[in-house]
Amino acid sequence: MPQEFYVLIFGYIVGFYMAWNIGANDVANSMAPVVGAKAITIRQAVFIAVILNILGAVFIGSHVTNTIRKGIVSTEILTDPHQVLIGALSAMLAASLWVNFATWKSLPVSTTHSIVGAMTGFGIIAGGFSIINWIKLAAVVVSWIISPVFSLVFSYLIFKIILKLILSKENAFFWSLKLSPFFIGSTVFVVVLSFLFKTPLGKNLCIKAPEALMMAFIMAVFFGFAGMNLLKSFVKGSKLDGAEEIFRFIQIGTACYVALAQGANDVANAIGPLAVIYLLVKTGSIGATVPVPIFLLLFGGIGIACGISMAGHRVMETMGKKITTLSNTRGFAVNFATATTVLLASKMGLPVSTTHAAVGGVMGIGLARGVEAVNFGIIYKIMLYWILTVPASAVISMVIFKILQFLL
Amino acid sequence: MRVPFFKMFMTSPFEGLQEHAEKVMECALTFQQAMECYFSDKCKTFEEFRQEVTQIESQADVIKRRIRGHIPKETMMPISNFLVFRYLREQDGVLDAVEDTLDWISYRSETKIPEELKKDFSMLVDAVIAPIEVLSKMVAEARKYFKTYSEDQRVIVKDIIHKLRRQEHKADKFEDIIKKKVFNMEADAVIIFHLVRLAETIGSIADHAQNAGDMMRAMLSR
Repeated sequence: MPQEFYVLIFGYIVGFYMAWNIGANDVANSMAPVVGAKAITIRQAVFIAVILNILGAVFIGSHVTNTIRKGIVSTEILTDPHQVLIGALSAMLAASLWVNFATWKSLPVSTTHSIVGAMTGFGIIAGGFSIINWIKLAAVVVSWIISPVFSLVFSYLIFKIILKLILSKENAFFWSLKLSPFFIGSTVFVVVLSFLFKTPLGKNLCIKAPEALMMAFIMAVFFGFAGMNLLKSFVKGSKLDGAEEIFRFIQIGTACYVALAQGANDVANAIGPLAVIYLLVKTGSIGATVPVPIFLLLFGGIGIACGISMAGHRVMETMGKKITTLSNTRGFAVNFATATTVLLASKMGLPVSTTHAAVGGVMGIGLARGVEAVNFGIIYKIMLYWILTVPASAVISMVIFKILQFLL
Repeated sequence: MRVPFFKMFMTSPFEGLQEHAEKVMECALTFQQAMECYFSDKCKTFEEFRQEVTQIESQADVIKRRIRGHIPKETMMPISNFLVFRYLREQDGVLDAVEDTLDWISYRSETKIPEELKKDFSMLVDAVIAPIEVLSKMVAEARKYFKTYSEDQRVIVKDIIHKLRRQEHKADKFEDIIKKKVFNMEADAVIIFHLVRLAETIGSIADHAQNAGDMMRAMLSR
């Protein structure tokens, strides 16, 4: 069918465009605190983010791709393959347009929520309101509140602990080294749990919750002490500088994790609808779940990587000069809070946005009086666009769906 | 670009406070030269020094306005923005007092300090210069405190504030001595008024420095 062949090509283009936008925008959230704290350079950050996003997308991403597509729109709609084809295309295009609009207007929106909104719009127009899984949609609304609040509380507490146990001490370097197994350990704990719970890895290994906890704990203890010994041998510092230096290394670790998780989660936004189109064109029918071919994940990963390397560095450059940036201890608190929030929220089944969690994390540090100055006037604007994202992308998706229906 | 996320990270007002404090110190050094010039009989460059002080003052004014204009209401800082403004006002008060002193002298430059008062006046000037020089160090140490919240660092800043207070007290004493001596002088009432007011204006420089210290103390409160 030549017509559907064109649709597939168009789908590839739109999918790549979506992935590019994700890369251009979202990389800031994972890498900004690290670059801001001058733990690594922009060039290093771009390099790390590119590699880890591709790895995350290819090796961890497939599981998430299915749930997002399945969750919002009921499977009843899948009876008409032609409609699904148009729907997937219009959802993807609508989400990309909205994200691109937001990028142009420099407004932070969640790519996850854009695709959720676009799917909803398509669902409503194709099958009416009854076809939408409102509980899933309510979960999106809940996540607007939960992810920033969780992250805020976490970063506040972590920072207060660091302050109390390390920074306020006379020999901060000594204490930071002594307590480093705890901080490295908890980071490793969260990372390992994320991999076991959030990715197909845990499912493949047939690991259950208690075993996963046990495994994460053992690894946390091991890496905690191994990390301390490593730090001991190559961090030479005195008092405050030394403490910050130690957190610099831990922070790089957390940032790498966020980049990896981002690749795994966000690739679904771009590739989910593309996988549907791909399968429809190849087989002509579609089931409740879509197997995502590895090459599509790689395609999405490369798209994200292109976005990062072409545009992501500009975002990070703005962090460089003339603004109050986070020190390593603060940056660590933000990153750790973001990672933990994303893990907990996705365990609860909420489609959370890393952006929301990161903003909450910075607020937590601000409330803990940890930064010389942070401007939260912008927060109202950010929140407005969090809320606008779903209806806006839904409406765009409806319009595009109608147009495509007329054309195809 | 997701710039709004980065818009949260703004220029720190402490940066500006530090810069302003350094301007104050720069001004103090010029002020000292101007006063030494005034005390000596042969000096011709007083007016130049006065102009220089005015110039530094206007530069500091730019910094002051920049700080005031760049703290939005929703800014989160380790301290309330009200305290930043009050602190800045006092630190700027030092500059104004320095400028006032030199202006006051210029209104009647033919009044020369009597020989028997020269030493007292010069001690008063030294006494008010000392606290001004501490201001920029105080801001720097306070910034360190807000990074770590360590008790030791807090003590360092508090010590500087105590020092400011002692120095202001010392300046007060010199001011009293001068006023007493001036009123017991056999001289024209105009000269007496000029000298008394001069001593008071010089003394007010230290007052503002001490007030800045008090504001800093309020910032440190837990």
